[in-house]
This record gives sequence, structure tokens and C-alpha cells, in this order.
Amino acid sequence: MRDTSRPLAFGPAARAVFDLSLDGMVFSRRSLLMALLVAAPVAFAVLYRVLSITHGTLPLGPSDLYALMIAIYWVRNVLPLAALFYATSLIADEVEGRTLTYLLTRPLTRASIFAGKFAAYLATTFTLALPAAVVTFFVLMTAPSAPALGPAAGDLLRDLGVMLLALVAYGALFGLLGVFLKRPVIPGLLFLYGWELLANLPGYLPRLTLTAWLRSLIRHRPAEEGISGLFQQVLPSDQSLAVLLVVSLALLGAAAWIFSRREYVLEQ
Amino acid sequence: MTRSRLVLIAAMTVVGVGVIAGVGALWMNPARASVGPLAGEALILPKDSRFVMGFDVKRFTSSPFYERFASRDGLKPEALSQLEEKTGLNPYRDIDEIVIAGSPGGRKGAPGLAVAFGRFDLYKLGRSLETDGKATGTSHEGLTVYAFGDGDRDLKRGGLAVAFLDQSALVFGAKDQVLAAVSSRVRNETPLKDNTALMALVEKVRPGSTFWMVGDQSLLSSLPTSVPAPGASADGAATMTLPALTGLTVTGDLDPQVSLAITGEARDALAAKNLADVVRGLVAMASLQAQQKPELQQLASAISIATEENRVLVSARIPYEMLEALQPKKARAAEATSPKPHISR
Repeated sequence: MRDTSRPLAFGPAARAVFDLSLDGMVFSRRSLLMALLVAAPVAFAVLYRVLSITHGTLPLGPSDLYALMIAIYWVRNVLPLAALFYATSLIADEVEGRTLTYLLTRPLTRASIFAGKFAAYLATTFTLALPAAVVTFFVLMTAPSAPALGPAAGDLLRDLGVMLLALVAYGALFGLLGVFLKRPVIPGLLFLYGWELLANLPGYLPRLTLTAWLRSLIRHRPAEEGISGLFQQVLPSDQSLAVLLVVSLALLGAAAWIFSRREYVLEQ
Repeated sequence: MTRSRLVLIAAMTVVGVGVIAGVGALWMNPARASVGPLAGEALILPKDSRFVMGFDVKRFTSSPFYERFASRDGLKPEALSQLEEKTGLNPYRDIDEIVIAGSPGGRKGAPGLAVAFGRFDLYKLGRSLETDGKATGTSHEGLTVYAFGDGDRDLKRGGLAVAFLDQSALVFGAKDQVLAAVSSRVRNETPLKDNTALMALVEKVRPGSTFWMVGDQSLLSSLPTSVPAPGASADGAATMTLPALTGLTVTGDLDPQVSLAITGEARDALAAKNLADVVRGLVAMASLQAQQKPELQQLASAISIATEENRVLVSARIPYEMLEALQPKKARAAEATSPKPHISR
């Protein structure tokens, strides 16, 4: 018999919150929109194959197109956006829907609630992004003009890992913004399309961004125009991995700590 | 099972199948995974190379640079010219990318060993090489090696040879090196990967460049160690000592303008700073010539020099208009009248 005077253990509590949150996240209008955005490269890849049959050799090779999708479309733009829209709303949605009370009055620690919700966010975004990347890779890299599949497959595994890491790192950051700020989306967008541009500057400034560390982990470097093409730095891979993991853990810890201590006043 | 779990499992199944297929392809394919911009197949190049360079022929031919300067002599890398002459391949039509490894001052007539990637009709090429009497085919470790010149008898003597690894890759260079590369390929060996100094430099190269080159310390030992100081007399009495470089990386793109990024690695931060100052001095001297040649002023402002720890980073972005302005007038006039070569595709 469980001691009802004490909250549920962290693991089972987080799992219960995960189960509860997953349905709401996977089958939502937000997921439908994100699925369209995240899976768009699959459509581009199919279109590319059709065009390569009807028009012969295209100016952009299949591996170049795949590199663009990974480096520019997913890692730089869409995955951070997906993280922004999901992770900022982990707690904000409960506050807005005035349902947070129901969670907080259960015998669960607040850290386990945050952990369960973050795990549900990761499961949802992985479900949307990873199959799209795998399908895009095989559609493009099996084109007749594509290089050998074997060596490129190593990049696929690396790319999937970097996509996971991007969702974890940006999710941790925006999760923190979500528990800390009342309206976190605008600061999040400013971070993505303002602060993250520091990654294109020379010197040490790129080290203050997440995108510089993430793009250093992928091999694809599509040619870029302007200042980003001029100064783009590739940081050491081992450092990049360590920095991203440490930053993600620190941000998640901070988010869980703030959520555990913050008092939420629901508007009547 | 809830609907969301079902979706999750379906998605993970797709990813799992994809990963298994990818690992399978990696396992089954004799080619090794790439290192930076260096394709896995090119790791059969010799271990004792002192430089490695890559040239993306497809990007080059689709660049405005090719459109403007295609008729110039010396535009084509030597290995490509030799390959064209010996095999009849049209490098700009049949080859996508070429990787060359070698040592400066190596064997005469063989600029290094080259691995070219593209689309090759093995039957037609083999037949053409043998029936024209250009080369003698011989089997080596199950692959046909075409030796030029004296034929199979001199296979060990160091003439030129080509071997088609498959329909998408060939290796070209000195006969003994081609044979060694073929053996490495058959035995699934990666000799170039054992050259850790060079590989460390290759890993840092930005993939996707139109051309790139890395050289190690031994390559750079042949560079001059001093330059005349500004204002020095012709007898060269006053000179500036250049800090030694331990590594050099060059990458470049040609679209929409010529962009070059040169990274020199010095022994320490102080040496890097000194070297950067020397380069800045040279650029400043060029801009001093602006009165005679105003284009030099533009060129000087198109180059930026920075240091980062023990590295000197030189970046240049040169618009095509400036490149044309920098050419001698005579050459420009000849350029305007000469017809552009036709490239069959």
C-alpha cells in the first residue's frame, strides 16, 4: 500500500504525466501544422525525383538538396521553431486552459510533472521529424545521380543524432522560457532570428549560440551568401557535443527548479 | 494501446527500418564513410601524402567563373588535363569531383594520385583504351589496370595508369601508386586515414566548397622563411622572418563571386599574430599601389585578416568585375574576341 501522505516517486509520476500529455500533443492542431512544416522536405524530395525523370539532370544534386534540408531547413529553422511552439507551451497551455490546478493538486512533484511533459514534447517532435528525415534521405539518395548510398548512410545516422540534439537543446531553452515568462513566444522568436545570427560573426561570438555548436556537428555545409558564408566557423565536434549536452541539462534543471518554486495565479 | 502510442511506434519503426537500412548499406558498401569533404572512396590514397586537394567539377562548370574564363589556359587542374589526354574522358561531362593527394616535387609527370568520381561506361572506355593502343590492360586484384606508355612490362617502373574502381570511381596516377590504391580498395584498407595530421586538417574543411586543399607541416617546410622588408634594397639585406606554419587549409567557392578562405596554423598565438601582421603589411602595400592601379585598392578592401588562437584566417571575396579589371588589358581584349569552348553534355 502506497504511503498517500508522500508524493508519487519521480519515475512513475513522470511516466503518468507523459502518458497524459502525449495524446494531447500528438493529436492537436499544432501537431498537424508542425507535421506539414516538418515533413515538407519529403514532398520536395519526391518532386525532385519526378523533375529529374522529366527534365533530366537538375542544377542541384540530390546530396546537395539533402544537405540543404538538413542544415538550413531542419537544424537552422524548422526544428527550433517546433521546439519553440511545443516547449514554451508545456506549462503555459495548462495555465491558459486553467487546468494546471488539476495537475498541481495531484500527489506528484513539480519536477516530475515538468519531466513528463518534456518527455512528451520530445516524443511528439521525434515522431514528426525523424521519419521525415529518413524518408527524405532515401528518396533523394537513391536517385540515379546520387553518390553511393553506403558512405552517405553514415551521415544519415549523424544527422538524426544532431536533429535529436537540436530538439533537446532548443526544447530545454524554450521550456525554461515557458516556465519563466508569461508570453515566451516573442522572446523565443527574437532569440532564433536575432541572437542566433551571432553564429555568422567572426571570433568567439558564435560560441554564445546554439546553432553554431549544432551546425558544427553536421557534415553538410551548403554554400551560404554574405557574412555567414565568409565567417562560418566549424567548432570542434567533441566540444560541440559536450557544450550542447551540458547546456541542455543546465537549462532543463533551471526550468524544473523555477517551475517547482513558482506560484501560478490563474486568471478567473 | 492508445492512438498516440500507435503513432509513436509507427514513427519509430520507420526510423528503425531506415537506420538498419543505412547501417546495412554502410556495412555492405566497401566504401568507407567520408572524412569532412573527402569521400570515403578517396581514403585509398597514399598514407605518405603531404597534401590533399578536392575539386568539385560540377560546381566549377556551373559557376560564373567557368562561364567567363573557360577559354583560359591553365584553368584545368593538371591531373584533369592528363586524364582527358590519356583516357579520352571529358572531365567536364563525365566527372563530378576529383580528389588528388601527393607531395610537392614528387615524381615528374605525375602530379599525385587522383581519385575521380563520376559516371563511367567501363566497357566503352576499356575498349577505347585498348583498341586505340593507348594503354595495356592488366588484371590486378580482380580489377583492370590500364597502363599507358610502355605497357605491362613497365608496370613497376612508374609510368601513368588508370583503374576503374566501379562505374562511379576511378584512380589515376603513377602505376605503382595506382596498383597500391587498387590493393587497398580490394582489401578494404584506408591508408590515407592513417595520416592523422592530414586527416585532422581535412576534418576541419567545410564540405560543399568548389575547391579545397590541405597541406601539412612537411609541405610547408618548402615555403620561403623570410620576405624582403618594406623599403629594403634590391640586395635583399633587410628581410622579415616569417613564422613557420604547421598546417594550411584553403577552401574556395566561385558562385556568386570568387571567395577564398585560407587558414594557416602557426605554432602559437604569438606566431599567428606575427604572421597576420605580415599578411596585413602585404595587403597594405598593395593598397599603396592604388594610385597607379585603382583596382588594387578594391582588392585590398576585399581581403580580411584575423587571428584566432594559433590560426590566421584570411578571407577574400572578389567580385568578377574586379577580377576582370585586374587582368592586363591585352588579355581582356583577347578574351572578348576568343570564342567560348563548346562543352558537350
